[in-house]
Parts: sequence; structure tokens; C-alpha cells
Amino acid sequence: MPALLLWVLGLPLLGALALTLFPATAVRSMKRFALCVSLATFLASLGLWLGFDNASAPFQFVCHLPWLAAFNMHFAIGIDGISLFFVLLTTALVPVCLLVSWASVQHLVREFCIAFLLLETAMLAVFCMLDLVLFYVCFESVLLPMFGIIGIWGARERKIRAAYQFFLTTLVGSLAMLLAIGLLHFQVGTTDLQVLGTMELSERRQLFLWAAFFLAFAVKVPMLPFHIWLPEAHVEAPTAGSVILAGILLKLGTYGFLRFSIPLFPEASVYFTPLVYTLSVLGIVYASLTTLRQIDLKKIIAYSSVAHMGFVTLGLFSGNAQGVEGALLLMLSHGLVASALFLCVGMLYERTHTRLLRYYGGLVQTMPLFSFCFFVFTLGNLSLPGTSSFVGEFLILAGVYQTNTVAATLAASGMVLGGAYSIWLYNRVAFGNLKPAYLGAFADLNRREVALLAPFVVGILAMGVYPAPLVDAMHVAVTTALGRY
Amino acid sequence: MGSFDNDVYALLPELFLLGAALALLLFGVVYSTAPDYGSPSLVQTTQWFALLSLGLTAVLLANQPVTTMLCLSQSVQLDPFVTFCKTLILAGSLGAGAIAFQYLDGAGRHSFEASVLALLATLSLLCLVSAADLLPMYLALEMQSLCFYVLAASQRDSEFSTEAGLKYFLLGAFSSGLFLLGCALLYGLTGCTSFEALALLCAGGYGGDGGLVPLALGLLGVGFCFKLGAAPFHFWAPDVYEGAPTHVTAFFAIVPKAALLGLFAKLFLGSFLELMPLWQPALLGVGALSLLVGAVGAFAQRKLKRLLVYSGIGHLGFMLLGLGCGTPEGLQAVLVYLALYLVMSLQVFACVLALQERTSGQRVRYIEDVRGLAQAHPALAAALSLNFFSMAGLPPLVGFCAKFAVFFAALGANLALAVGVAVASSVVSCFYALRFLKWMYFEGQAGAGVAWAPMDLPKAWVIATTSSALLLGFAFPTPLFLWAEKAAAALL
Repeated sequence: MPALLLWVLGLPLLGALALTLFPATAVRSMKRFALCVSLATFLASLGLWLGFDNASAPFQFVCHLPWLAAFNMHFAIGIDGISLFFVLLTTALVPVCLLVSWASVQHLVREFCIAFLLLETAMLAVFCMLDLVLFYVCFESVLLPMFGIIGIWGARERKIRAAYQFFLTTLVGSLAMLLAIGLLHFQVGTTDLQVLGTMELSERRQLFLWAAFFLAFAVKVPMLPFHIWLPEAHVEAPTAGSVILAGILLKLGTYGFLRFSIPLFPEASVYFTPLVYTLSVLGIVYASLTTLRQIDLKKIIAYSSVAHMGFVTLGLFSGNAQGVEGALLLMLSHGLVASALFLCVGMLYERTHTRLLRYYGGLVQTMPLFSFCFFVFTLGNLSLPGTSSFVGEFLILAGVYQTNTVAATLAASGMVLGGAYSIWLYNRVAFGNLKPAYLGAFADLNRREVALLAPFVVGILAMGVYPAPLVDAMHVAVTTALGRY
Repeated sequence: MGSFDNDVYALLPELFLLGAALALLLFGVVYSTAPDYGSPSLVQTTQWFALLSLGLTAVLLANQPVTTMLCLSQSVQLDPFVTFCKTLILAGSLGAGAIAFQYLDGAGRHSFEASVLALLATLSLLCLVSAADLLPMYLALEMQSLCFYVLAASQRDSEFSTEAGLKYFLLGAFSSGLFLLGCALLYGLTGCTSFEALALLCAGGYGGDGGLVPLALGLLGVGFCFKLGAAPFHFWAPDVYEGAPTHVTAFFAIVPKAALLGLFAKLFLGSFLELMPLWQPALLGVGALSLLVGAVGAFAQRKLKRLLVYSGIGHLGFMLLGLGCGTPEGLQAVLVYLALYLVMSLQVFACVLALQERTSGQRVRYIEDVRGLAQAHPALAAALSLNFFSMAGLPPLVGFCAKFAVFFAALGANLALAVGVAVASSVVSCFYALRFLKWMYFEGQAGAGVAWAPMDLPKAWVIATTSSALLLGFAFPTPLFLWAEKAAAALL
């Protein structure tokens, strides 16, 4: 079906519009409807994977609609091996987010569901858009619903400051990209990605444009030193907000690097690789060390996300297919692992209403099922062989070692640090003595929570043991993106 | 010189509006003082009739028998650019009139003359934008200014309003004087006043022989900037806009900009195009300063109307930046920005006018007065948040279209520094937009909460239409861009 991608993008939007027609008191029906819409979108995106041709280089499922023909900007969407899996990850995570907030979000439920569905459309559009200006528009459109989600349904008093920081930092970074897009449009006459891919720009122009794009993407990734918004936003956001933030929104920046910075500005990418390597390695080591000092559960996982994203950027700029494919696999795996970890922390928070590590201990005695799931996710976080993160990190290190052995060695130390903070976190939460003086709520997982966590357990282990279907689909797209390196 | 037989076709909308304004004035005077009918307050009736006349004028404008004409001894010009500006003026007046109904019911506002004055002001703006000669332009400008001075002071029991009218009058008269001096200098230097003749005379560029031509252009520019309220000539704007009754402020903010900027474009981009090295740096400087003043000034405000005024000055900076490009793309961007600015400011003023407390009739004066609006009136809070984000230029709202058109045009004209200032001002406007949102959404209601009065039907329609345009306009920008391109091509 040629318009399947348009349906995948449009279903959440139609669902959000339909939600406005529900009466305000029909809260349960609204939640069920939103869940059904997001599941239908997921099924439609599975259809994308089924109909995907692994061996074909150009974009597939392309849809071309006119938008502003005078400026040569069209609404062009399409997927290739890189964006296919991000689309799948997005459509899979949104029903998870809606399910995890089933009991915890009580007020303004309709607005919550609408915000998530609109956010889903915007995120899907970012991954499918083949026009630079509309990519920028969708890149920025995720800010508004996310700002609302953090600020309205967030947990504590600091949430407004966190929402401001998130919004403004990301906005300032992106404005540089808008100017670069304007300059590109002025020089080339169009902002269509497929046309731009055939253009050759001078190195000086490439350097300037790459730097402007870098500002926007580096804030989103987040790379040191633009990473401060991430721990703040994660801690203050509701569970569903953290899941979508860690699972998808962090990938927008790295996707931007792979889709735009590397194919369009290859000479500049080679020129700036040492900068990216330095920031990535610093990010890995510094973020891992900072994680060791944290006392808030969500902040630990947030800082570990910064470390993982450091690995990803390292792999993206390694210059060979191994590194890039490793980066993509790590991105997908991090989408699963970090989201699952935030789900676990959210479940704990729902029971005890605290995230301070001091109060937890010995949970394996009263919540064995939860501890098992948490253990699998912890193994994923530290990239144990057999989990999906290991495949990603190993390929990244193999790829980076071919380019720069020092960076690879320093990054490998990050694996040790990752083991340190993951094992230590799990140790302090699950093992040791129970602390009934502080906490008394020890109900193990209910059916909804098992249904939420089980796909993640299966996914992480399956991807770790058999990543071949994913790699096969990505390979052609990655070699095309690296074509002019 | 020939016969003026066909010239009336070019002036049909204006003639109709003049007749309607005079008829309404007579109607109001005769019947509001008629003892047989009990001396009724004809405020609402006159306002409805005024809206009807504006609508019929718009119909006449849409069905003009000629689209391009230079008539009345080369003093009135009709072309697609003028038609675009006139459409914006009429749409703005219709909108500003429609949202004024509930306000006109209030205390101390029993004079129907305000509606007639608004009609006359609109008429003068229509004449202003179709002027093709310095003197008719000055006459129309004065007529508009006079109507505005009276409108600003129209709330007779408020000292604030009287102060606003007086300030406006004094500063406006001063700036009109400067403007006339500029016109006189041009006449003295060139011997002609029609725009076409000036264009022919200036076609050779500036030879650099003495400082009178730059002085004349400078005086004209200063007069225009005063009227528009561009920095550094903006000091009257916050006090006047704040003191005037809110529906008049809406009129001031929405309607004249299209006419004044259109005329500015006709004069500087049309007639003085070859003298661009003289006026372009100054125009860009004024634009950049307006952007900065608008952003920083709005950031510092605690009163709602003053915040809106400073944000308007920021928007004006964008439009002057687009004009300063001097290219057809720049002019197209300015026209697109004008149209979208009309939609956005109409919506925000409609929302501000809708915020009235149920029992006391107290209106919102300070920004903190909207606290807890999200709980009390979620639809209005959502409309206001959409508007503020759109004015800050956040995609996917329609304000982003306007800003990126100006950015791209300016980048195309190699104005990198000015674009940098514009980007910085956009970021600052996000700050105060977020702060406004914080008051609406994240602060609870003080005490038992404010009970907001329900709004009347015309206002609800205006808010609904403009909010839909804000949300959906981004998906279909082509018609507006094409229309603006045609209008810009008619001038350049």
C-alpha cells in the first residue's frame, strides 16, 4: 500500500482530533481509545517493516505532497533502513507510555492523551521527513507537547524550571540550524534531501553549516557540555514522559547527525571528528563517574543515558559501516533498555512516592518478579554479552578502533564504569536488607505491569542473541549515508 | 490630463465607505437625541451598521472593475499591492469591530461616535495606501491621526484615556510636522510630488551632492517610524496603547500597520529604490533596534497591554527587516508577515477583551491576573498559549511561516547580522511567552478563584476562526505566499 506511511503518520493525529469529541467525564473510554489508536499505529508500522525491501537503496514508501512550491519546499516523507527502526520504536513506545500512566495520571487525562498522540505524530514525522525545513519544523514541534507533559503532569516543584531549561536550551540550539538551512536554501535553491545529497559544497561552507547543525543536534543528543537539561527533565517528568524522552527524543539528535550532517557535509564531518570524539569520550567517562555519585534513581538512569549517547556519537563518526551500524543498534537497544529502566523506577515510585536510593533495599525478597525484570534491564544497561547493548557497543568499539585507538581505549573504560554503576544500583536496590522503617509498599508487579515489561525483556534478549534481521535492513542505508566519506 | 470619467471606478470602495460613515453619523445624531424614541443609546446598533458597511466595502473591493490604474492626476494608484493592503485593512477593521461589542456595553462608553470615527479612520487608511502623491498621502495620514487621537481619548470618564489621547496628539502632531517638512524639502528639491515623478527623478541614483536629499528622506522616514511606533521613536506607544480603551488599542495594534508599511514600501522601495544605499542601513538599524527593544521591553513588563505593545514593536522590527532587504522576496515576506500578524494580534486582543470578571466587570490589567486561567477557562488558556507561541515563531504554528519567510529573504540579501539580532529576539520572546504560560497553567488560582464572564458570540467566532488559522495555516501556506508574491511583483 503506497500511502501506508501517510497512514502511520496520520493515525495518531486523527486520534488526537477524535479525542476532542469525547465528553469530559468519559475518562476510561478516552484512555482506551488513545491506547487503541496507538496500537493501530504500531500495527501499521509493522506493515512497513513487512513491506520493506532490504536490498533497495533509495527511500521507500515515499509520499510527496505540495507545501510551499514557490520556495521549492515539499512535504516529502519516506523511510530507509535507518529510519524504519526508529519509526517502529516510536510506535511501540507510545502505547507503553499510555499504559504506564493508566493509574497514575488522574487529572486532565484527555489533554495527556492528546499531547502524547500529537507528540507521536511529530516524532514519526521527524524520522520520515525528507525536506530540511519540514524536518526542522517537526524537530521543534516535539518541544511543545513535551513542555506540557513535563510541566503539567510532572512530579515536583522543580518541574517548571526543568521544563523551561529543556525548552529554551533546545530552542536556542535549533535556531542555529534554521539559519544554516536558510543559507543552504539560498545557495542550492531547494531543501529536498534527495537533491541536496547530490550536491557538492565547498569545504568552508560545509564547515560552517556542519557547525550550525551540530549545535542543534548536540543539545538534543545530549553531548557534553549541553547535557544539563537531561537529568533535570528526566527527574521532573512523569514516568511516561521519561520513557518517551529517553526512548525517542534523545535519538532525534543522533538521527539528525546520521541523516544530515554525515551525508550532506562529509568533509566537514571528517574535519570535526576529533571534536566529536573528544566530547563523546568526555561524556562517557564524566557521565559515568557522575552516575556513581547520584542518589536519585531517575538521575542515575538519566546520566547513564548521557554516557550511552556518548558511545553512539563515537560510533556515528567512526567513518566505517561497522561503527555506524553499532551506533544504530545501540540507539535501538538504548531505546529499549532506558525506557524499561524508567518503567521500573516509575513502578517503584507509584508504590512508594520516593526516588531516593537511601530508602530502597532488599526488594528481591518481596518483589521477586520485579527484581528479575530489573536485573535483565541492568544487564542491558551494562552491555553484558547476550543483551542488545553489547552488540551495539562492541561494533562501535570495533569500528572506532580502526580510526582512533586512543578514543576506543578510553571508551572501553566506559564499559567498565557502566558495569560499576549498573551493578551498584542493582545491588543497593534489590539486595541487602529491607528498610521497613522507610517503605512499606511491596506489592509485586500486577498484570498491567508484567504486560508492560515482558516485551522489553524479550526484545533486549532477542536483539542481543539475533540482531541479524535489523542489521540486514540497515546495511544498504548505512553504506549509502557513508558513501562520500 | 484628461477626463476623470473612469476614475470613480478606482474609488468605489472609498466612496461607499465615506457615504456610509456620513449616513451613520447622521443616523446616530438624529435618533440618539430623539425624545420620541426615548433617546436610545445607539452604540450597538451603530457598531453593527459599521461592520455591515465594512463588509460591503470589502465586497466592493473584491469586485473591482479595474485592477491596475493611476488616476486623479496621478494621485491615486490602484494595483495588486494596494489591493492586498486594503484587504488587510478591511479585515483588520472588521475583526477589531467585531470584538468590541461587549466592551462597548460597559460604563462610560455610551457614545456611538466611536464607531463612526473607526469607520472614518479605516477610510483614511484606505485612501492612504492608494495615494500616489505626497500631498494626498499627507492629508490621509492626518485624517487617520486625528481620528486616532479622538479614539484614544474616547473613554471620557477615565483620566488615563485622556492622558493617552493628549500624549498621542502632541507627539503625533510633532511627527506629522516633521513628515510635512520632509515632503516640502522633496518638493523644493525636485519640483514634483507624485511618486512616479519622484521615481523617474531618483532613477539615476544619488550623486552625493549635498545633504538635502538624505535629510528629506530621513525626515520622511522619521515621520513614518513615529507613526508606526518603531524604536527609537516608540516611546509614546506603551502609554497611549495602555491608556486607550482596550477595543481601541486592538484597533490601533491591528489596522494601521498594513497601511503605513504599505505606504512605506511604495515610497521607499517604489520611488526611492535607486537611493537604497542611503536609506537601507538606517532602516535596518531601526529594524534591529525595534527587535531588541520589543524583546527586552516585553520581557520587563508586568502589565498585559504593555506586554502586547512591546511584542508588537518586535514584530514591527521583523517587518522593517524584511523591507530593508530591498528585494522582491523581502517585500513578499513583509506582506506575508503582515497578514499573519493581523491574525495573531486579532486573536490575542479578542482573548484579552474576553477576560472580564463576572460580577465586578473588572478586566485583566496585570499579567498575574490571568493566574489559574487553565483551570477556569481551558479553551481560552489554550488559545492564548497558541497565540504566544505563534508570536514567538515556534513551529508548527503559523507564526513560524512568517518568521522563516523574513529570515530566508534576509539571508538571501546577505543581511547576516540583522538575522542574528532577529533570532536573538525570537529567543527572548520565547522567554516571556513561557512566563505567561506559567501564570496561566502552573500557578493555582488565588483564593476562591476568579469567575470569568462568558464572552459574546462575535468574539467567540473571531477567536475560533483565528485560532484555527493559527493551527492549520501551517499546512496550507501556498495561497497566501502566492498572493503576496503577486502583490510584491506589482510594486517591484
